[in-house]
Parts: sequence; C-alpha cells; structure tokens
Amino acid sequence: MNNLPCKPQTEDGVTMTAFHNIRYEEYTLDNLDLIGELRKNQIKLKPAVCVERARHITHYLKNLSSDDEPMEIRYAKAVNYFLSQKEPLFFDDNLLAGTTTAKPFGAPVYPELTGMAIWPELDTISAREKNPLSLSQEEAEELNFAIFPYWLDRNILEYTRRKYNNPQCMGLFEKFVFFIASKAGTVSHTIPSYKVALDKGLEYICEDAASREAQIRQGNGSLSGENRQQAEFYQAIQIAMQGIIAYAEKLRKKAAELGAQETNFFRRNNLLTQSEILGQVPAKPARTFREAVNSLWLVQVAIHAENINMAMSPGRLDQILYKYYERDIDRGILTDKKAMEILSCLWLKLNDNTNLVPETAEELFGGAGTVPAVTVGGIDENGEDAVNELTYIMLRITELLKLRDPSLNARYHYAKNSHAYRNRVAEVIVSTGAVPAFHNDVVDIKTLQNQGVKTEHARDYAVIGCVEMGIPGRSYDASSSIMFNLVSALELALYNGKRPVTGDEQVGLASGDPATFKSFAEFWEAFKSQLQWLIGEAIQLNEYFGHAHQEMLPTPLLSAFFEGPMETGKDLIFGGALYNASGATHIGFADTVDSLNAIEKAVFIDKKCSFQELIDAIQANFIGSEKLHAYLVHKTPKYGTDDHIARKNSQNLIRFLFDFYQGHTNYRGGKYKPAYWTMTNHAGQGKLSGALPNGRKANKVFASGITPVSQAASNLTACLRNVGGLDGRCIAGGEAFNLKYPAIEGQEDLHKFAQAVESYFISGGLHIQFNILSYQMLLDAKKHPEKYPELLVRVSGYSAYFKDLNEAMKEEIITRTEYNLRSQTRNPFPAEYESMLPWE
Amino acid sequence: MDSVLIEILMNRWLKSMESEFAEEFLEILLKMMSLVFLINYREFRRNIDGFNGRYLFKSKDDAITVSVVFRNNKMVVSERPIDDTNVTVIFRDGKALMNYILSPKPDIIGSILRQDVTFDGNLNYLSKFAYMAKRLQLMATGAI
Repeated sequence: MNNLPCKPQTEDGVTMTAFHNIRYEEYTLDNLDLIGELRKNQIKLKPAVCVERARHITHYLKNLSSDDEPMEIRYAKAVNYFLSQKEPLFFDDNLLAGTTTAKPFGAPVYPELTGMAIWPELDTISAREKNPLSLSQEEAEELNFAIFPYWLDRNILEYTRRKYNNPQCMGLFEKFVFFIASKAGTVSHTIPSYKVALDKGLEYICEDAASREAQIRQGNGSLSGENRQQAEFYQAIQIAMQGIIAYAEKLRKKAAELGAQETNFFRRNNLLTQSEILGQVPAKPARTFREAVNSLWLVQVAIHAENINMAMSPGRLDQILYKYYERDIDRGILTDKKAMEILSCLWLKLNDNTNLVPETAEELFGGAGTVPAVTVGGIDENGEDAVNELTYIMLRITELLKLRDPSLNARYHYAKNSHAYRNRVAEVIVSTGAVPAFHNDVVDIKTLQNQGVKTEHARDYAVIGCVEMGIPGRSYDASSSIMFNLVSALELALYNGKRPVTGDEQVGLASGDPATFKSFAEFWEAFKSQLQWLIGEAIQLNEYFGHAHQEMLPTPLLSAFFEGPMETGKDLIFGGALYNASGATHIGFADTVDSLNAIEKAVFIDKKCSFQELIDAIQANFIGSEKLHAYLVHKTPKYGTDDHIARKNSQNLIRFLFDFYQGHTNYRGGKYKPAYWTMTNHAGQGKLSGALPNGRKANKVFASGITPVSQAASNLTACLRNVGGLDGRCIAGGEAFNLKYPAIEGQEDLHKFAQAVESYFISGGLHIQFNILSYQMLLDAKKHPEKYPELLVRVSGYSAYFKDLNEAMKEEIITRTEYNLRSQTRNPFPAEYESMLPWE
Repeated sequence: MDSVLIEILMNRWLKSMESEFAEEFLEILLKMMSLVFLINYREFRRNIDGFNGRYLFKSKDDAITVSVVFRNNKMVVSERPIDDTNVTVIFRDGKALMNYILSPKPDIIGSILRQDVTFDGNLNYLSKFAYMAKRLQLMATGAI
C-alpha cells in the first residue's frame, strides 16, 4: 500500500487532512452501486443525431433576428434563445443536472460548420454499417426542410469560398489528400477556466460585463470603431450568461417537479437536491463540492451550445475542484466515497455526447469521440508538487469506469512528483490497457516558455483534446487548425509537383526531376520547397477561415471563461486571450523521415540504385524490384534507431517545420505551432498514398503521431532515446508517441515500465501513451468484435473502442511494434498476418 | 397513369445501375426527378419549394454535359452547359457518379484514388441533390 506523504501539520501536531491509500482500492463498481448501474446503462446507449440545437439556432437566426444586427450580439442571442428553449431532461439517476443534447447519447448538429455533410444520408444514417446514428423520420424531415436549406450558402465553408472567390488553397483542401483545414468544421480545441464561474457565479460575470459596457457608453452618444465593438462584446457576454442561467432555472423547476412526483426515495432525494443546487449554481458561487462540479458541468454544456463538441477540454480538474473537496471533507459533509460518486457522474456526463460524422469520414477517419481532455498531477504555479487526493480519486474512477471519454492525461514532473504517483499512473495504464497518457512537465513547461508563456502560466498547463498543450483560461490555441500530410509534400518532390492520387495534374511546384539531382541536399531542397509552398497554402486557408469565423461565429460565451477578453473587451476570436496560437499537426512524420533516409542511403551513399530506378520501383509498387524493396525495408536507416542519418533527418525536419511555421502570425496575432498527433488520419491518408522510398507499399497506413514506423525500431531503449531526443522546443503544439506492450505483470515489470517512462522524459520526450495489448488479443478482437465490446485502445492522443474503428485503423494498431519490456526488444509479428505490415 | 410511368422509370433506373458503366444512370435519374416534381409524386416537390439551384454534370471525356436548374418550384434539364452554377460535378462515368451519390457503403478511398468524381462549387448543393437521389432510390426499391 502506498500512502501519500503527510502534509504539513498544524502547530499542535494535528494532521491537516486525512490521507488515504492512493489506490482507493476499497471502492469498486460493486460498492459504488449508483455508478455501476449508470455505467452499465450508458455503455449500452446507441448514439442518436440531436437536432435540438440546430433547430433553435436556425429558427432564431432565420425568423427572429435581423441581418443588420452585429454578429457578436446576434449570435449571442441565438445561443441564449437555444439555451432558454433547451429541454430540461433527466435521463437517469446521475447526480448532476444538465445534458449536452436532448438525447441520452447525442450527436448534436452544427449546420454552420460541417453538420450538413450528413444531408445525403438522412434516410440511411440509422442503418449504415459503420457507427450508425439513429435519426427519426420527423427529425430527418426537419433537417431536410427546415434547417439545412437555411445554411446552404451560410456555413463557414461556403461563406469562406464566396468571400475569397473559391481560392486555390480551398481546392487543395477539398482534395482531402494534402491537408485538412479544420476550421471548416471546428475551432473549439481549448481549455476554458471555470474559476470565476465557480468562485463568483455567472451573475457576477454578467455584472462585470454590464459595468464595463456602461463605462464605455457613459457620456458617449453613438459609439464607433473599437469602442462600439467592445460595448457589443460586453453586451453579448451578458446575453450569453443569461441564457445559461435560464437553462439552469428550467432544470431547477423540472427537478423540483419530478422530485415532488417521485416515489422512489433515492430518486426523489436526488432530484430535490439537484433542484436546491440549481437554485445556487451556476448563477451564484458554488458553496460545496457537488455544487462546484455541477456548475462546472453546466458551463461545459453551455459552451457546447455555442462551440462544437470537439476537444473542449475541462483542464486540471484535480486543481480546480480541490478547494471545494478539501473544505467539504474538513466540514464533514463530504466523504471520499461521495466525492468519487460525484466525479464518476461527471465522467459519465462527459460521455453523454459524440461527434456527428458522415459515412465518408467514418470510412477514412472514424472512431474518435469528442475528446474532452482532463489533466491531473504535475506541478503548481509555484513549481511545487500539485498531486492531491483528487488526483488519485480521478485516477481510480478512470480505472473503474474505463470510458472512452474523458481523455485523462497525467502530468509528471520527475523532480517534483513522487514515484508513488508515477507508479500509480502506470498501474492505471496497465489496468485499463490504454489510459491515461503521461506528459513531461519539465519539457512541456520549457516548450511553452519558449513560446512566450510566463513561467507561472506555463506551470499551469493542461492538455487539449489529444495531446496539445494549452494554458487554461488564458490561451486560445485552435490547436487543430491544420492537419498537414507530410507525405503529400514528399510525393510532390518525388514527382516534380504531382502526386499519384491526383493523377497528371501539376498540383505543386516544379521542383525538379529528382533523377537529375546530384546530391541528397538537392532533394532536401526540393522537398523543403514543396513543404513551404503547401504549408503556405494551408496557412492561407486557415487565415481565410479565421476571418470568416470572426465575421460569422464569434464566441462571447466561451470568451467569458477566459482571462483577457473581459479586460480588453475583445472576443477570443478577435485575439482577446492572453496567448494566441494556431496549431498545425503533421501526418506521416515517421514514413517521411524514413523515406528521406532511404533516398539518402540508397541513391547517394550506397548507390544501390539511381533515383530514377527508385521512382520506377515505387511507382510499380515494387513489383519487379523485390531485391531493391528488401534492401529499402531492411537496410536503410530508420527513425527511432541510433542511426545518425535517421537522427539527422528527423531533427532537420522537425527544426525546419518549426522555423517555417513560427515565421507566420495568425489572424489573432499568435504564432503557428507545429505538432505531431494524427487521430486516425494517418490510417486514412496512408490508404490514399502510393508506395514510398522507405519500402512502404501503396495504400498502407502511415505510422501514428510521432511514433516510428511499425516494426522499424527494434530496440526499445533506442526508440525511447531517439524519439525523446527530438528537440522538444520545436514540438510546440504537442506530440503523440504510442508504445505497445503485450502485458505488464508483477511489481518488477511495473517498476521497469514506470522507470522507462522516467528515462524517456529525462531524455527529453514530451509525451507517451500506451496500449497494454498483445498482437494476438488485438487480432482476435478484430476477428471477433462481439467478444470485446468494451476493448479500449489508445489511438493517437485519445482512446476509442476498438470495435468502432475502421478496418485500416484496427490494422494500424495491431501492427504497432509490441515491445518486450524485459528484453527491451520488439516481439516478432505473427507470421501468418504479415500481409498487414506496411511493406508487405 | 403518371404513377405507372414513374414506376416504369424507376425500374429502368434500377436496371441501369446494374450495367458495367451505368451509362444511363444520370439521364434516367434526371428524367425521373423531373416527373416526380411535375406530378408531385408522394409530395416530392416539397424538396424544391423555394429552392434555387444551378447544377452542371459533366463526364470527364466530355461525352455527357447536363445542366439542371431548380427555380420557381420547377426542374429544368438541358444538355447545354450553363454559367453561374452552384456546383459543377465532373465524373468518370455513370457508375462512378452512381457510387458517389447512392452507394450504401461508398468506396470513398477507391473513389478518391480513381478520381471518380470531383466537384467545383458549393458542396451543400451536391449534398442536397444526393439526398433527393437517394430518396428516389429508396422509393424505387420499396424501402420507403
């Protein structure tokens, strides 16, 4: 049993807080009766399309508002209208009031973003093969006749196309295979601060905004320019907050009404208690732990009324909620069991919604949830150990519930956090097979400081969505703005501005026929030129979308939960946050590096083949070039090993991308931050790409995140050293590094496992996450999904149920290198399934 | 009589999908659409109430050029190109277009790799058209 070290004692020797076994082993789903039952029912829920939000937002904008009204106010009123009309629903015995949608497990429609992508399948979405979403005929008709027609020319994509006259960069985006410009579908991807909401209540925020608005208007007749915009922003905040308060009031009344009618003692008590709680929060300050958690949850629901449910991350909940927990424990009105139940209810609530994904996207990229990331552990703003009881409680409930969301992330500072904490995180990973991810406080904080973040703010970082680093309530990171396919630029360089998937079209620059290059340096320059051009296009489109968002979709509600907008009178979307950035993540990093390595070695060092012979071989998918293929697969340098060419090329690419991106400023005045996480896009994009110089055959998946190509890095220590050795400063947007062990058995294995993480962090790695699953188990799960309905896997920054992933993604996870922790080498891949491997 | 004609067209349409290149797929689809709107078969005209849309469908080899204009609750089909389209759809052959619009399990990867269908313009208009086409297919097969 590992007990927390004692906290400081009072002068008379009384321990200030009672401590506990950090595993909280006595609490299980069997004796947390409510939670066991809630979880069991939640897992069975089938997702359904929810039109409630789309209905009210569309109705308001179409019928109740004027085009002349400033969009900041108009959109706030639309959101207020929706929240005021939102149905107060209580689907189950959860202790927290509020639901993201009007369905028990809903996929809300955001027609102003990419919601209309499901239009073709309104009649078939309920029965589609992959991840069906139930939709009634009435709701389908409502979408078809009443909602979608309004947005035909008005969603962000079409608004931007029209405004900028169908620019070339948009054409590239719509080919799918070069980059994804995520702002067509989302900004979100941030971490609000709940502090003011919890400490002072939404009425305080309203009053603050009203007072600031009054100051601007005082003595000024009609306002113009910046003053006018500020006044409108403050007005919009009040409107938005009033919407949240109105929804809470509806919930309060409904809870009281249902409670009065309820005969079951527990349910009656729960509903009446919720009614009391809603009489206080979120309008007023939270007085208890349960009030704080419910207030936080209602703010999360409200944020989704305005912002799409993608990676809107709650942040450092063990820090945010700790004072409420500690106070209630001290007052004797809260027990650890109760705290666990309340937090479990929050975890379940965070799972009450999912993304609306059209069938085409499911085929290419499917399986992801909404990825609301919760962060625990690490250090506080003063640089001291921040791990507390709630950290361990949250680890325990994550271990018990094994849900896809929230995505739990454990910050670890190897000089400040205890090994007990580190080992406990490792235990939970082993127990769940996938969760949480480990984040390196030392390097992450330095990386943020290098981006201009103040030290005390950097120490307070939390994780957004997959792996990105944000400063809660202070940074607006738009961390998924660009998802860039590195292999596309590589192919453009190989084929002098063309790509096999786009045929004979001259898409990119005419960077030269590689067959004429005399040195690797020449090819490297050609590749860089394609990168610069293509990234330039992606950035251009992101800027266009950013401006469109400013005009169409301001975010006054979200802005109220950030430091900066209230002080400056500027919406987040206009740069009101203290720190601004746009994230650009990269797909195909390892495959690109290994291909560079192969070109350098095969063509220019070993001279195994000419460049033309290499190109001919990859164009033929290596048919007729088997000997060359074998050489490329087995004899050329691989990223994740100690080979100096592999190290050089991986570092050069990371640095080049960092310098290039950081030379650009976004529409909010922030920098572009390169990152290396891929969700499931590496599988889809791999399926669309031709064979590569590293020996990867055509249409095989790419490696995930910043992870080496499957099976390429045979030694675990070298792999950790070389991935960790990449310059963390240049990975400003975060990385997803995925490792797999078949099993961790016994204390000795656990210690090795945890120690390997520590060593990796000391060598400079930012992040690491695991699947503790064997090849055989995953192969069985693919073959017999009915046997593994709740098998959770770590994808590339978040978790998913294995059965929900598309076939390509399943194969990618199966083929990821499985390491033997004791021998530090890779386990051989089952021979009978070798056709799954990237070079077969 | 009109319903009978529609059923004949629907059967012909379903048969056209079975041929190797589904050459007649678009032609029959548009004929059928015109008729269902004209007679308001099963209230299908509601889909174009107040809807203004200009579409151009072109095959890659330029053998097929069809424009479709929705205006004043009517649908007008022509074999001449038009300007100011909301969306232009360029397709390899009838089969490719059919798969893109109708397939219950679309081979999206294959479609992109083969460059079966590309478009220029407002994707939402294409989505609406695909919805109407799919609905007709479901009606033709008796699914709805």
